[in-house]
Amino acid sequence: MTLCDIRGLSKTYPEFKLDNLSFTLSAGRITGFIGRNGAGKTTTIKSILGLVHPDCGEISYFGLPFGKNEQAIKQRIGYSTGAVNYYPKKKIKDIVAVTKTFYDTWDEAAYQEYLELFSLNENKMPCELSEGMKVKFNLLLALSHKAEILILDEPTSGLDPFSRDELLDLFTELKNRGVAILFSTHITSDLEKCADDILYIKNGRLVASCSKDEFGAQYGEAGETLEETILRMERSKDV
Amino acid sequence: MKKLLQKELKLSASVLSYLFIAFGLMAFIPGYPILVGSFFVCLGMFQSFQCTREANDITYTALLPVAKSDVVRAKYAFCIFIELCYFVLTAAVTLIRMVFLSDAAVYRQNALMNANFTYLAFVLVILGLFNIIFVGGFFKTAYKFGKPFVMFIVAAFLVVGLGETLFHIPGLSAQNAFGFTHMGLQAGMLAAGIALYVAMTVVSQNRSVRNFEKIDL
Repeated sequence: MTLCDIRGLSKTYPEFKLDNLSFTLSAGRITGFIGRNGAGKTTTIKSILGLVHPDCGEISYFGLPFGKNEQAIKQRIGYSTGAVNYYPKKKIKDIVAVTKTFYDTWDEAAYQEYLELFSLNENKMPCELSEGMKVKFNLLLALSHKAEILILDEPTSGLDPFSRDELLDLFTELKNRGVAILFSTHITSDLEKCADDILYIKNGRLVASCSKDEFGAQYGEAGETLEETILRMERSKDV
Repeated sequence: MKKLLQKELKLSASVLSYLFIAFGLMAFIPGYPILVGSFFVCLGMFQSFQCTREANDITYTALLPVAKSDVVRAKYAFCIFIELCYFVLTAAVTLIRMVFLSDAAVYRQNALMNANFTYLAFVLVILGLFNIIFVGGFFKTAYKFGKPFVMFIVAAFLVVGLGETLFHIPGLSAQNAFGFTHMGLQAGMLAAGIALYVAMTVVSQNRSVRNFEKIDL
């Protein structure tokens, strides 16, 4: 079931252009969004979250246009990034106490469950958390309001292999519960492990949007891993 | 908006914004340019905008299920809340001086501005200038606040200078009235101050909402 539908998304900056992106996110699937630094992943994510104004394009979630239903849609989606640190000097419990008042579907039992699962201490401040724990904190907020779509912007960047593996297991578990996940990364091995679909972006242009198997069949060469295929495509001037 | 104001008060605000409300008591100090207290409370609010930027508060708020325009309105609501707290405090001090201390030698021999309704009018003008110059300037980018704050400092101290010199001009000494003398003029000044504060705040908020809609975060 398609939960998010993006059509013809474009955004032009003086030195960069996001060019006519179209893709969908489906329930119970992890969509790996891959491209090198500066390819346009974060701009795309910010555009579909309404933080950046696209020049053109249609963005809809749950069959509803984003612009006219922004508040209702945001109740049902979650966003997490490894790069941004919100309220670094406030206690987690204080941030949660304020944040939960905004969500109609906040589930206190789920919050306690994930708090325990992630081994997060409510009395700590984000500045006291490791990078992996910061991502988990953002995920905690998203999961506690029962987000049906998770948009994750490089959540595993900067994490040690053990923390990355832990998170990938969690994403797979969430996928099995029916959550649609958009997982932006430049670490291809993460996608080998958990992605069902691949969006490959290069210089602001979506080169591929298909299942991981189709991607391998269409772009891969015999015996190549996903990482080797992407590296070859990155180096190629024809792609 | 109530939830957003609570978020501003609990997560975004610097403790200095609250502490600096106490500068409203400066209206008790004799021989001091008491209007400067209005600048200090704005300095306290400026600290909250620094916290806002450091904590990525604007992006966090924009990701919550709220209208984008309410992200802006919440910041104005916070500023208005602090400003009203300050105004109520300094107005209370002013009334104490007007009712009980109007003949006190320490205030009578004061060469600087007296605490009266004209003083309160000037306080409101400075607070309104903070809203239109600083807060309005901040929401042109939702990031840069140095230039708007410097512009506000210049404007605020020009108003302080105006307040401190106006009553020395021949024919305008009634601006510095003691107690409840010249109440017609004093009340008129206060009404003008209120009107200017409301106008500057409303114009600034509407402009900021429009600007913020165009900003890429």
